[in-house]
Amino acid sequence: MPADISDQALEFLLARAGLDLTDAQKAELKSVYAGVAAMAERVRKPRGIMVEPAHAYGFNEEDL
Amino acid sequence: MAGPAIPTIAEAARQIAAKQLSPVELTRACLDRVKSLDDRLHAFVHLTEERALAEARAAEAAIMAGGAKGPLHGIPIGLKDIVDTKGIPTTCQSKILQDNIPASDATCAEKLAAAGTVLIGKTTTHEFADGGPSFDLPKPPARNPWNTEHFTAGSSSGTGAGVAAGLVLGGIGTDTGGSIRGPAALCGIAGIKPTYGLVSRAGVAPAAFSLDHIGPMAWTAEDCALMLQALAGHDPRDPASADRPVPDYTALLGSGVKGLKIGVIHHFHEVDYKVSEGTQRGISAAIATLRELGAEIREVQLSPLQDWQACGSLISMTERAAAYEEWARTRLGDFGERVQRRLQLGALVSGVDYVQAVRRRRELRAELKAAMAGLDVVLTAAAPGEAPKIDNVPIWDVFDRPSFTIPFNVAGYPAISVCAGYGEGGLPVALQLVAKPFAEPTLFRVADAFEKATPFRNTRPALAGGSA
Repeated sequence: MPADISDQALEFLLARAGLDLTDAQKAELKSVYAGVAAMAERVRKPRGIMVEPAHAYGFNEEDL
Repeated sequence: MAGPAIPTIAEAARQIAAKQLSPVELTRACLDRVKSLDDRLHAFVHLTEERALAEARAAEAAIMAGGAKGPLHGIPIGLKDIVDTKGIPTTCQSKILQDNIPASDATCAEKLAAAGTVLIGKTTTHEFADGGPSFDLPKPPARNPWNTEHFTAGSSSGTGAGVAAGLVLGGIGTDTGGSIRGPAALCGIAGIKPTYGLVSRAGVAPAAFSLDHIGPMAWTAEDCALMLQALAGHDPRDPASADRPVPDYTALLGSGVKGLKIGVIHHFHEVDYKVSEGTQRGISAAIATLRELGAEIREVQLSPLQDWQACGSLISMTERAAAYEEWARTRLGDFGERVQRRLQLGALVSGVDYVQAVRRRRELRAELKAAMAGLDVVLTAAAPGEAPKIDNVPIWDVFDRPSFTIPFNVAGYPAISVCAGYGEGGLPVALQLVAKPFAEPTLFRVADAFEKATPFRNTRPALAGGSA
């Protein structure tokens, strides 16, 4: 994941989220994008396709 | 309650049961403290004085007639202002909910009321349990009773300050990444984040659904155990609620730690994010104390703290953005600036990022389970150091200051913060103990043994009289 985000990409993400930000707010958000990108890299470890998320669940008696 | 001494819940309960302490006098003493100190502490956003005195009188009458129904009968408490309280404003410290008066109690409020507690009021929180100390919210942020120029940590900031200063004997906090254990650490009290699902979240405003925990904060671990006894148990109103028997949380108190195996995650607080000298001293002394008491100390190695932080933060950013999406889209400017910024972060996390974080969560939980296989508890820091100045708390610390508490929200394991002494600035430092899921009795056993072997429970903040 790139550690930077273009203005165009940021605009797209904000529009999709329905957030209407000022230019100053956009600039600040852009300045911390690298931090989010670094976190997103950290959670990607070498793992096979079979590794389940933590919230995969099973039905219990109450569901039946 | 005579003089400056502030009893623990356990002490007050014994005296109330023996009819040596009046719940009405105890409540009046707490209210007097609120009136004399809270203009400096801002621990409360809403006082319920009349209700408190009525509840105290009812408790006293019931106790005189038939005895106390349990150790919380007649005990003054506070509830964090994200906990729904029937007929009492619950604002989440936000402009958005300034007129919100819930029609029913949260389960935790209901359970504490049923146990006979006396509600002094709603305690200060960060807005919707997020952000940090904000000065653009309807009420000012809570201040640390050890030094009011300093931060309490959050988001259960008012409960932390209120308990430390004796405005209440205990209270409710909530913890998504450390919001019970952080204020407990910086305010020098005890605070436990129980196992995920042990205490119902029903009726409590969410921060991040899969990381949110409700738990008690009090002066001692023993008091937390007494409160947890009333709070724990299955609740069909909470889809994550655990359906299992509730043990006696005080059963192992006084058993000491001889023979227990305690793992220390040195690399969390010595390598991954080095704590202050005062905190390191407190942790090293605590390890020596536990060893002297007969515990076996071992080394534990986990993934770097930053891995846990990344996993928990991505989940938290996304779940929070989902919970508050409607208001973020329509009323963003009505949130305080700190929460506005936090909500915006959700836009930067993709769906795939979120699922990778939740897959990583399963791996990290498995790692902790394996590391704890031969251990009773593990130990690390609860906070990096003493409380910072309240006007010097960074907005974006999530990216460069990994939290010592979030790993155990990610894992869902129970964790408690207890006072481990004082740093160079005279403010508290703390350690964190973590047990296996639903092993809260063991956690209380170790925390209680440590507290009783050390002098840190003997001193309250000078502002509150100094002596405990």
